[in-house]
Amino acid sequence: MQFTLLINENESVYEGEGGAKLMEEVVGKHMALIEEMQAANAYVGGHRLLGAATATTIKYKAGEGTLHDGPFAETHEELGGYYVIEAANLDEAIGWARKIPVPGDGGIEIRPVWQNEE
Amino acid sequence: MSKGADIDNARPRAIAALAVHFRDLDIAEDAFADAASAYLEKGISADNPAAWLITAGKRKGLDAMRKRNAEERAADGLALVRDMTEIITFPEPIQDERLRLIFICCHPAIALEARVALALKVICGLPVAEIARVFVTSEQTMYQRITRAKTKVRDAGIAFELPARKEWGERLDAVLLTLELAYTVAYQDAAGERDDGLSAEVARLAAMLAELLPDEAEALGLAALVGLARARENARVDGDGAMVPVSQQDTTKWNIAAIEQAGNWLDQAAQKRAPGPYQVMATIQLTHARRAFDGQVDALAIAQLYDALVALRPGPMVALNRAVAIGTAYGAQRGFAELELIEQDASIVEKLEHARPYHVARGDLLAKLDRKAEAAEALERALKLDPPSAERLFLQSKRDALLG
Repeated sequence: MQFTLLINENESVYEGEGGAKLMEEVVGKHMALIEEMQAANAYVGGHRLLGAATATTIKYKAGEGTLHDGPFAETHEELGGYYVIEAANLDEAIGWARKIPVPGDGGIEIRPVWQNEE
Repeated sequence: MSKGADIDNARPRAIAALAVHFRDLDIAEDAFADAASAYLEKGISADNPAAWLITAGKRKGLDAMRKRNAEERAADGLALVRDMTEIITFPEPIQDERLRLIFICCHPAIALEARVALALKVICGLPVAEIARVFVTSEQTMYQRITRAKTKVRDAGIAFELPARKEWGERLDAVLLTLELAYTVAYQDAAGERDDGLSAEVARLAAMLAELLPDEAEALGLAALVGLARARENARVDGDGAMVPVSQQDTTKWNIAAIEQAGNWLDQAAQKRAPGPYQVMATIQLTHARRAFDGQVDALAIAQLYDALVALRPGPMVALNRAVAIGTAYGAQRGFAELELIEQDASIVEKLEHARPYHVARGDLLAKLDRKAEAAEALERALKLDPPSAERLFLQSKRDALLG
């Protein structure tokens, strides 16, 4: 079955002194992870997103949408990217999720992808 | 054996086999219930009730699924054939799927409390009303919590396969923690006001785990810990309904066979050379239990075991129990000095203020130091924290003795 791994991170660790270097390291680890996933036929897709400062959200109230500057949830941790993977079960998905580098604060949300019955 | 007892004994194995077969906890439970009522209507008992209930349950579950999903009849046909062969080849040794079921119900992706509820409901068959009472919540809330946990098992991709041994780490920890919480809940009330059902089921579950995981030292340790608590159950309350602390319990009311069984589990665990907190906690209890055999309690050994426990599982409660143990082993002066060390951390005191054991320990040590007024005040504080009735009676008489 497929799982989506949503990466929520505090972006501030990549700011200031040493931030750019840390980002370079983390990106390197992501590249290595993608290769590992591909070799295991687990990689379905994924993207790194631009910072939360670039986010625009349509917020709905009773079906009525208005535009907002900023991400959906105002928290310290922002959605920074995601993977879609193929895994036999939740434990396998957790195993991949644990390999995602998160040098600061944050969380990886693991969600099964809706599967249409054929 | 009565048919009811047959069903109770077969339940964990049968439910486990059905859950693995159908890959759905709800269907497994319903199928088992249907099979159980068929068993009760049957003329005679089966030689192997578990096998009978599993085979009948597979058929019942299939019927139920067929009713639920009329358009899936073609697929059912296949399943039916598979089912028939199983009936034809019966009886043959049935695979023991209990461990798989335990790992499913105790998956760390399920919230800890929900894991306990799920295990008690699915594996032990405890009624939802009783589980709700144990967790001090409404039956409806508990029902929803269990339903949500079952839905997560079904939809979140929780494997019905047993994980590979090398990947057990986190999964096994989750199983042990689930059982530990069940144990804590079962014994939070000294008088067992909540009735015997829960502690009996927790003991069964712990023994089952020790049987299924004979190479896991901590599983054996936890079984010993639970077994020792259960062994002393009949001595925990006196004729007036007041709690009796372990050091004053009437040892003739202890279950000696259960204590010996716990000792065996701990011996078995020691051979694995993998010490852990459950083994240490159980060894402390076993040291207390030795009083039944030679009338002695080795207070120095208990104090040393608490040193080990503080290292393995640091926390304010363990530190508190260690201070009490030191007080017993080396005198109240030293015990109280340890307590004062703990009290130097304001954030810990803030937490302990709301914990009865803190005030009880304080009162105990102060009483031994002959600081009676302060001791009575500490017990008064414990009494204000709403203890269960057996503990309240015990604390009241202790306080009255100090004031008298």
